[in-house]
Amino acid sequence: MTKLDSFESIFKSADKPVYAYESARFERVLVVTDLTDTEAENLIAQLRSFLSVLGDTPVWRHLGGEDFTTVGRLLEETGNAAPDLIVTYRHLRSEAWRWPHGLGEYLETLTQATDIPVLVLPHPDADRALPHAIANTDCVMAITDHLTADARLVDYALGFTADAGTCWLTHIESRRQFEHFVAAVEKIPEIETDDVRELVEAQLLKEPRDYIESCRRVIEAVGLHVEIKAIVEMGDRVAEYRRLIEDHRVDLLVLNTMHGEQLAMQGQAYPLAVELREIPLLML
Amino acid sequence: MSNPAEMTAGVSAAVGGGHAEVSLGITLFFAALLIAMIVCLAFEEKLHAKKSVIVGAFAVATLLLAGLFGLLPFSEMDLHVGDADIHLPVYIPAIDWGVIFIILGSSLFVDVTAKSGLFTWIALRLTKASKGDPLILLIAYGSMTVIFSAVLNNVTAMIIVGSLTGVSLRRLGITDKLLGFLLVEALLTNVGGLLTLISSVPNIIVGNEAGISFMEFFTTAAPYVVVTSAVTIAMGAKLFGIRRLAGAEEKAEAARLVAGFDENDGIDSPFLFWFGGVSLIAFIVVIASASIPDTLLNDLGMGYVAISFAILALIQHKATADRFYREIDWDLLAFFAALFIVINVMEHAQVLELVGRFLIPILDLGETVGPSVLLIASALASSVTDNIPLAAMLAKILGGLDLAADSPYWWAVIFGANLGGNITPIGSASTLVAMTIIHKSGITLSFVGFVKRAAPYAAAQLLLAVAYLWIAV
Repeated sequence: MTKLDSFESIFKSADKPVYAYESARFERVLVVTDLTDTEAENLIAQLRSFLSVLGDTPVWRHLGGEDFTTVGRLLEETGNAAPDLIVTYRHLRSEAWRWPHGLGEYLETLTQATDIPVLVLPHPDADRALPHAIANTDCVMAITDHLTADARLVDYALGFTADAGTCWLTHIESRRQFEHFVAAVEKIPEIETDDVRELVEAQLLKEPRDYIESCRRVIEAVGLHVEIKAIVEMGDRVAEYRRLIEDHRVDLLVLNTMHGEQLAMQGQAYPLAVELREIPLLML
Repeated sequence: MSNPAEMTAGVSAAVGGGHAEVSLGITLFFAALLIAMIVCLAFEEKLHAKKSVIVGAFAVATLLLAGLFGLLPFSEMDLHVGDADIHLPVYIPAIDWGVIFIILGSSLFVDVTAKSGLFTWIALRLTKASKGDPLILLIAYGSMTVIFSAVLNNVTAMIIVGSLTGVSLRRLGITDKLLGFLLVEALLTNVGGLLTLISSVPNIIVGNEAGISFMEFFTTAAPYVVVTSAVTIAMGAKLFGIRRLAGAEEKAEAARLVAGFDENDGIDSPFLFWFGGVSLIAFIVVIASASIPDTLLNDLGMGYVAISFAILALIQHKATADRFYREIDWDLLAFFAALFIVINVMEHAQVLELVGRFLIPILDLGETVGPSVLLIASALASSVTDNIPLAAMLAKILGGLDLAADSPYWWAVIFGANLGGNITPIGSASTLVAMTIIHKSGITLSFVGFVKRAAPYAAAQLLLAVAYLWIAV
């Protein structure tokens, strides 16, 4: 490595994104279900309690199964309502919830065709929800493999964390992808494999840790009454998050699903959204 | 010796004296070899050869030829140190080991100190202190380039400040000003390189030969460096339209952007950081003290001081010292060793006397015009080829004239050899580094483009140097 590269690396490493807090606002909440009116009313009552952190400001509106019969119609109704938050569950107007292998055409399109955050509940008929699910938001976890500079994810996680609650900022690097990269390095004689393994792993985990520190400082300065906890590690994302949900009794997961101009859901978001069905997910 | 006629006579007596009679044909033959070596160095990039290999090849060839022509003995030289007899091959005493040890010691010391995060800490603190204002940033980076070039060396200074410039201007979204910043910094490395006796290799070579002490060098050069740095920065700001931010919103946004720099990121150990800072100050003080006559340090020389500080710094990294050895510029050190051998052979072949004769018309111009012409001639020569052989050769020639340490001729060579590097991108190692950073940043700048852009600055710097020689030296 030349001295020029060496100093460039030092300065690039020192150039850290700084978190700037922006309060997430919710004035209109749209609940989309395929339930009967009574079931929907019960669900909305439960949601008001679950999302008490949003206060009394939001106007709640229900969109029932009769209001939309096609994906196009749902998008049209959603556009008319212009909500700040959509609440729904997987496999609307479908029996496919019995097989936990997808999200259903309505939800998949809704998350990608609009930039409105979608809160995905465990399916009311599936009986997969953990006992503590949909009770409160005392413990919210932002999950990502790219936390650095993702202020929006942090803002939403904080926005949903109840007063005096815990907000987990987590970043899990894929061990499998890392090993795949190291396996390629192992075959290149000019590169010291042990150095790469040690240094790249350390750098990958250092950046989100630094960003979390920046978040912690800003949140403290703003005076939010929320405890910030961090998890930054390597592992298998789905297995790791499943373990964390149980270990820490997580009430809500917050994750990104949009990826620039890409039409499909962000790579890592899809398996997480499909497999983590036991508690609500906020999909941004 | 101030009389031009006496000086002219002195050239012949000094550089030619003490050697056996050498035929003009042999002298011309060796002069041709010297010219060939200088041409090869000028086309180093085209030859795809390192300096050390080029000059090493000429050293081996000229030594052999000097032996065959009877200019140098093949047998070993005997050195008597006290009661001990030391036998050395003829080419070993030809090398100025004092210079080699200063360069080896100080570069090792600087490399180890840089690892403490000290220089990057200073650089990032200054960046944050500027609050991202482009003009303040230019002044801060320009000043930092001058000081780092003086304390470290011009290449390391350019690498540190240049790489930070790229990162910070990209952060501020003003990459259109990058060329202006990098050009000003490149041109200031050679100005900063004039500040102290150990700031550049020509300073060390000429200063040692002239007997200029560290403090004498500093007090003579400092006023010029301060004025020229200010002029260069002002010209850069004007020619590249680098101005202060106007609106409060713009200022707040720029300050927010640079606030993200974490100056502590590169500091692995607070102890090593503080040790680096304290030892750097101690290094400068002790190096300065080594120039006080009739002291033990003065007898031991600056090379001893530099190596001692390098060892002291390496003790903190004793288990990984080999990493620092790998980073030493062995090409540069081997180049110097070989160059000293070639110069020694040229001295015996009376090539230096021949070159000295070409200096006679310049010396005849007197102490006002003569040094000015020598300065410009040295600068032009340094702009197209390596300034180190030039400085070594001229120092050797001037050394034979019995000039006082404060003679303007020494300073003409020092100013010319350093500032000549600003005329072309190949004129100095730091301008070459600047070109690398410019190209790496995706900016197109040709050889001629650099010359055109740098010409106003180089002209101003040389004019100021000529005026300074007249007024102050």
